[in-house]
Amino acid sequence: MSKNLTFFVLFFAILLFLLILYLLKKNKISVRYSLVWFFSSILIFIISLIPNLMTHLANLFGFELLSNMILCMFIGILLLITLALTVMVTGLKRRTTLLIQEVSLLKKELEERK
Amino acid sequence: MKKVLLIIPAYNEEDSILKVYKEIKKYNEENDMVLDCIVINDGSKDKTGEILDQNKIPHIDLVENLGIGGAVQTGYKYAYEKNYDIAIQFDGDGQHDLKYVKKLVEPIMNETSDFVIGSRFVEGISDFKTSFMRRVGIKIISFFIHMTCGFKLYDTTSGFRACNKEIINLFAKDYPREYPEPITTVEIVKRGFKVKEVGVNMKERMGGKSSIHTWKDFYYMVNVCLSILVIGLRRYQK
Repeated sequence: MSKNLTFFVLFFAILLFLLILYLLKKNKISVRYSLVWFFSSILIFIISLIPNLMTHLANLFGFELLSNMILCMFIGILLLITLALTVMVTGLKRRTTLLIQEVSLLKKELEERK
Repeated sequence: MKKVLLIIPAYNEEDSILKVYKEIKKYNEENDMVLDCIVINDGSKDKTGEILDQNKIPHIDLVENLGIGGAVQTGYKYAYEKNYDIAIQFDGDGQHDLKYVKKLVEPIMNETSDFVIGSRFVEGISDFKTSFMRRVGIKIISFFIHMTCGFKLYDTTSGFRACNKEIINLFAKDYPREYPEPITTVEIVKRGFKVKEVGVNMKERMGGKSSIHTWKDFYYMVNVCLSILVIGLRRYQK
């Protein structure tokens, strides 16, 4: 990996790390959901520190360009995270539906007793 | 005497809801079968809520809009809590005809069926006009349903349906929020309930807009077919 690219990736990893810390401090994300982002930022950090690791891996997997492999890796990770989020949204929707229904039924019950 | 409840989902039905309620009152005066009703006001933005209050129509105001599936399920939950024996889904826009209620309820009363669907496409009663493309769409959905559960359903999107107590309990616990009509039919058949389709006539809508729009029809069909296939993969117990 070229020196410039290494610096760029390092910078990005640190930025991501700080951003998550900031969000946690402001109580904008819960610790549970921040973990996956912390791990990814640390992973990026480590990867960029070990010279030639990525180049070797790229050769091993048959990528002609290192940047291609990195792009593919990120797209893969992002896809998994969005999939997890979709699962969460589905669950949340089910719960809000249940809440709306139960609250509405209770309100009806209350009015009847008045 | 069995307790019968009409579940009437209503979203922006200010033009028709009062008329529907008056027809139900008239029906109860003229017939020996008493139909209770509950209107589920699905967060209407027009005067539906005021009309319901002013005329003392039994209703539940959903605090947020849920869509047809969530609204109808609220009705089933109500039916479950109030211990009803039979629940009938009935549209708030006036396209369903009360005179067919007896026909829907009868097979459940004499226990030959658990779930009865009012259909525009059997027995040749209906003069309902649908476009060619829509009929093709319904045929395709019908084919998918036949393939996954072996039941030949003709009117896949009919929202005029009656069910017994066992199915009320089931729907109160679990009801699909999207495309509920075709999906629940497949689930009910797969669980081993007896389903019957009876011919009814449906009127032109008194007011409001149908929840299915023309340009969305194709998207609707693809979604329904996919959902049916997914349900085909699941296993159910009665």
